[in-house]
Amino acid sequence: MTTAEIIQILSGFVGSMGFAVLFNIRGKRFVAVSIGGLISWLLFVILSKFISNEPTNYFIVACALSAYSEIMAILLKSPTTTFITTALVPLIPGGSLYYTMAYAFQGNMTTFLQKGIYTLQLAAALALGIIVSSTITRIIHKIIKQKTGLL
Amino acid sequence: MIKLFNYAISIGEEMLISGAEVHRVEESITRMCRAFGAARTDVFIITSSMVVTIHTPNGETYTQTRRVINSSTNFEKLHLLNDLSRKICQKAMTEQEIEEKFNEAINCKKNSFFLEFVSCAAIAGAFTLFFGGNLTEAAISFFVGAIVKLGIHFCGKITQSKIFDKFLAATIATSLAFIAVKIGWISSVDMIIIGNIMSLIPGIGLTNALRDLFTGDSISGLLRLIEAALIALSIAAGYFLVAFLGGFAL
Repeated sequence: MTTAEIIQILSGFVGSMGFAVLFNIRGKRFVAVSIGGLISWLLFVILSKFISNEPTNYFIVACALSAYSEIMAILLKSPTTTFITTALVPLIPGGSLYYTMAYAFQGNMTTFLQKGIYTLQLAAALALGIIVSSTITRIIHKIIKQKTGLL
Repeated sequence: MIKLFNYAISIGEEMLISGAEVHRVEESITRMCRAFGAARTDVFIITSSMVVTIHTPNGETYTQTRRVINSSTNFEKLHLLNDLSRKICQKAMTEQEIEEKFNEAINCKKNSFFLEFVSCAAIAGAFTLFFGGNLTEAAISFFVGAIVKLGIHFCGKITQSKIFDKFLAATIATSLAFIAVKIGWISSVDMIIIGNIMSLIPGIGLTNALRDLFTGDSISGLLRLIEAALIALSIAAGYFLVAFLGGFAL
């Protein structure tokens, strides 16, 4: 791991903590959310050694992090939204959104469209990862309920 | 009984305001009303409005609509309300107990303005580093983040519009970044603006929009999608305005 990557992981962690403060997350949930922010980019850095396609990486990390969020939601008895929205903050494509904007301003149509579509791809990969994970969780919930006869 | 139903709807409303997803709120209200003895509950919620109809076992119906105007993410409040709704479903609570818990959740502890102020600055500084900025850029970004937060805080009280707030924030951040370049502290505005954009962009809004769309709450999803698009546009507008007016070369 290079120094740049370590700086990224740590600053993503600080960023997640900042959002946790803004969203008024307290106590154990604050710790869980911050750790989520730390592992989200750690996972991304590790994955990027093996997979060069960024949207695919985003998708996998989003899947993993929503699974983490679902588990934390059950353990800490709090809505999943709390964990997902804050832990995935380092993955928000802010940089590529900015460059999309900058290219639009420069009137550079080709690069603007390229960057714009790329930003949308990242956002879609993120959302898709969350949806896949939460759907699987819902199915598991249903199976457990049926097996234990709680339904 | 009607008072209890009122509480169920109010709890749902506050959950929606503090950032819960639509289908969670619908489910919570239905469950609570069932616990209070409703024969049937029909709930329809979009991000800005709620319609709830409750059928009592002796054949009466009771309908209420609520207009939900503003929302501010507060996960501590959401946690407490979620807890309350779970408890209501598990065991019978008296009206007084519910009222007490409800008020407790509404008036939950909030972080001080100073802490929020510092964390806004820290988010901006951290993401400048994250996207490859150097330490000087991170330090400037930290202060720009703080000033942006102050600007939103004072203007937000007057305007009450999320979209205008973001426009203003983008304008402040971009102008300060250009000023810093003009003075010669940094060579490019990119990193400062990216760091500050991170706390403005509707990444969470966009993700929630897509989630709502996929889970079948199409109207809420579309509303959130449009809101996210408008916010993104207003950020871009703030950036363009300064870049044009300043006439700086990019």
